[in-house]
Amino acid sequence: MTLIAIEDLHVRYGAVQALRGVSLTVDEGEIVGLIGVNGAGKSTAMLSIMGVVRPSSGRIEYRGTSLVGQPPEAILRRGIAPVMEGRRIFPSLTVEENLRLGAATVTDRTQVQEDLDRWTAFFPILRERLQQPAGKLSGGQQQMLAVARALMSRPKVLLMDEPSLGLAPKLVAEVFRLIVQLRDLGMTILLVEQNVRMTLDIVNRAYLLNTGRVEFTGTPAEIRTQGDIERAYLGGGPRSETAPAGAGS
Amino acid sequence: MNDFVQYVISALSLGGLYALMALGLVIVYGILRLVNFAYGELIMVAGYGLLLFGRSPLPWIVVAILSVIAALVAGVVMERVAFRPVRNTSPTTLLITSFAVSNLLQNIALLTISPRPRAPRLPNLFVENVTIGDIRIKIVDVIALVVSLVALAILTIFLRRTIIGLALRAAADDFTMTRLLGVRANIVIASAFAVSGFMAGIVALFWIGRSGQVWPAVGLQPVLIAFIASVLGGMESLKGAVLGGYILGFLTMGLQTWLPQGVNNYRDAVMFGIVILVLVIRPQGLIRPVYLREAR
Amino acid sequence: MSALQSSAASLRRLSTPAILVAVLGVIALITELRGDVVFERVVTVMLINLLLAVALQVFMGNSGLGSFGQYSFVTIGAYATIWFSLTSTQKRVALPDMPREWWLYKQHLGFVPSVLIGAAVATVVGALIGVALVRLRGASFTIATFAFLIVVNRVALQWEEVTRGSRTVIGIPKYTGLWTALTWAAIAVVVAFIFKESPLGLKLRASREDEDAAASLGVNAALMRWVAFVLSVFLSGLAGGLWAHFIQQFSPHNFYLKETFLIVAMLIIGGAGSVSGAVFGAIAVALTSEWLRQIENWVNIQRSTETTIGNMIPFQLVGFTEIIVAVAMISVLIVRPSGLTGGREIVWPAGGLRRRRDRAVVPSEAGSGVGPS
Repeated sequence: MTLIAIEDLHVRYGAVQALRGVSLTVDEGEIVGLIGVNGAGKSTAMLSIMGVVRPSSGRIEYRGTSLVGQPPEAILRRGIAPVMEGRRIFPSLTVEENLRLGAATVTDRTQVQEDLDRWTAFFPILRERLQQPAGKLSGGQQQMLAVARALMSRPKVLLMDEPSLGLAPKLVAEVFRLIVQLRDLGMTILLVEQNVRMTLDIVNRAYLLNTGRVEFTGTPAEIRTQGDIERAYLGGGPRSETAPAGAGS
Repeated sequence: MNDFVQYVISALSLGGLYALMALGLVIVYGILRLVNFAYGELIMVAGYGLLLFGRSPLPWIVVAILSVIAALVAGVVMERVAFRPVRNTSPTTLLITSFAVSNLLQNIALLTISPRPRAPRLPNLFVENVTIGDIRIKIVDVIALVVSLVALAILTIFLRRTIIGLALRAAADDFTMTRLLGVRANIVIASAFAVSGFMAGIVALFWIGRSGQVWPAVGLQPVLIAFIASVLGGMESLKGAVLGGYILGFLTMGLQTWLPQGVNNYRDAVMFGIVILVLVIRPQGLIRPVYLREAR
Repeated sequence: MSALQSSAASLRRLSTPAILVAVLGVIALITELRGDVVFERVVTVMLINLLLAVALQVFMGNSGLGSFGQYSFVTIGAYATIWFSLTSTQKRVALPDMPREWWLYKQHLGFVPSVLIGAAVATVVGALIGVALVRLRGASFTIATFAFLIVVNRVALQWEEVTRGSRTVIGIPKYTGLWTALTWAAIAVVVAFIFKESPLGLKLRASREDEDAAASLGVNAALMRWVAFVLSVFLSGLAGGLWAHFIQQFSPHNFYLKETFLIVAMLIIGGAGSVSGAVFGAIAVALTSEWLRQIENWVNIQRSTETTIGNMIPFQLVGFTEIIVAVAMISVLIVRPSGLTGGREIVWPAGGLRRRRDRAVVPSEAGSGVGPS
């Protein structure tokens, strides 16, 4: 079943046309990759889904109902949770408070407690640091927290924007393993990444974005056979993970 | 020694009020980047509440509670009417808007009530002293001390234990992310103004309790104090605001007690000179939590 | 664009100060012809306030920062002017606390040199404090200027030797009349316009849009803010001296929040982005206030004489004018933040040249993405 369907999406920032007619779909239970270089429009696509950026034209639908024009707070209530670029955890709140706020839309207190126990069991490091300010966590731990926080609302779809950005190579591998684990738990994931090699290792399908357009789409195998494309747009793979934070597309 | 005990009690009492004043300002600033000049008029609203409700035969404590509620409601209404429409403009525009709102409310009070100070009904407790040994303490100081601590405790629980409280603190860190977690922006902002109004209301009880009078510009001095305390503590930190308030309380009482009058006349000038200095040299305030320094 | 078109365009641009000065001239002329003493006072005060609004525009309009500290320099300008313009005999009455052996006590200069020196004193203070202030941005800047207003106010209230403290300085001769005020206001309009169109003004406004981009082009925004600030201070100090010799008696209480608010309201209502905005804002607010004040007086007379209408009005009308001004200002901020002129300059009507309209009081800092929206 198709959860997210984007059709002919155009977004402009002032004079800059960031997206020029992007269409994509995300089906239930899939990991869909959105890849491309900086400035290709990957993050813009994601921010449009989240209601942070308003498209100039085009359709964004979730289970057949439109998301365009909805404020950011309404999107999560539909069942789409974001893991934003740069983690965006709340540094002055404790780890536990970050997690509880992730369940701000959940009214059932026992459910919140259940989920809190579940995800802190899943991420033991968070359980150890439950009462510490989140700002004191390391980059990798903050990424775990950002993911766990998103899961606290029991979303159907996770939108992940550059989760590997700024992390040490060992942690990057761990994040990608985590994404696969989440899919195996039944989560649907739209993954925006610059780390193309590792993304192609885990996704079901991927869209290759270039200057605001979908350049190519298909399974990882199909994309890999287009070796030229990979060399032309994607550079050396693992190197991109050292890109400075905040330099996302 | 006795002088010292008296000093500490008055300073703690004054510092508690100053802390509440600063908190009411900072809680809104942290979220909206609005330095709310009209915060003083919330204190004025509570003051006139004391005056008007005080004319009824209700017991004073009920009058006080109604006045605090009046300030709280005024805070929420102020946001809805004046600040929501300009919410997405610059901090400068917001500040100028609040300056206009402040003038508007003062002049409405001037027009509809009176330009002259009025004395609301206050309990006798407010003017009585208690003597323990050779220490004479104003009862109102003790009450203010206790009430400010209770108000701080209530606020702490609210900010730590409720989702709205968590959202308020989170929004000060990152408003967009807070909204992305499904928290409604309007509710967060309205709550911030409600807290601000609540603080103003509590402050009003004792601020007006001290002077015994309420007039249209009664909120000016508290708002100036709140500026100083929150700049000292760093405009973005709630803990800083509390600390800034207490430091200022001790400083004010200290200067008043031990400095000659001639020098004291320049107290405000020196204080605001320090404000400029802190803003220029240490804009993050004198105190700033370690984790924030790392995160930004 | 042909040379002819381009010179026509620049001519039309130059028409702005000419039109503004002409409007002021016509107002002054009408006032003179009416011969109504009260109205003449109103217009003279309006022109001095207009000078202040223009002074504020020089800084706020070009830098995009809000200042609440203008009246600190009006204070300094007013007192410093009378230090020089009064004779020793006059000082004995006006400033009785000034020690007779002071050098200052014996000084006496003409009106214009005194006003200029007064403005110069304010400028020196402004230039010094400005070095610190221009490092700040946004709300911090405004709070710092406000803090400075309080500092100057408290010092003026205490420093009896030079200000007579909180007591009113009296017995100042009236040198400022309608035409004097008009002359200085007109000069301020021209100076503000020249500054705005100068390379420095243009760069400053460009840096307001994007300070980082401007810095990469070698533009030192802080330095340019400082220049704008100092020019603004000079004009404000000037207004202080003129006002002192118009009103003839004053104390530090005359230079505080109420006054600050009025000038800020004039500028915001007119539109901070343009000199025309400052001029029209000042005229609109001054004339409306005067008209409202007349209504206020009429109503209060009705009340005190207990006419039928008077008995229907529940309270003495005090602060009514301020309420209307504040409501007007808030409405403008909400509905049309760039002010009535929309941040544009008035130009000689002709097709073609259209100014881009600024969308906010301070375009540069506006809306950081979604934020609270």
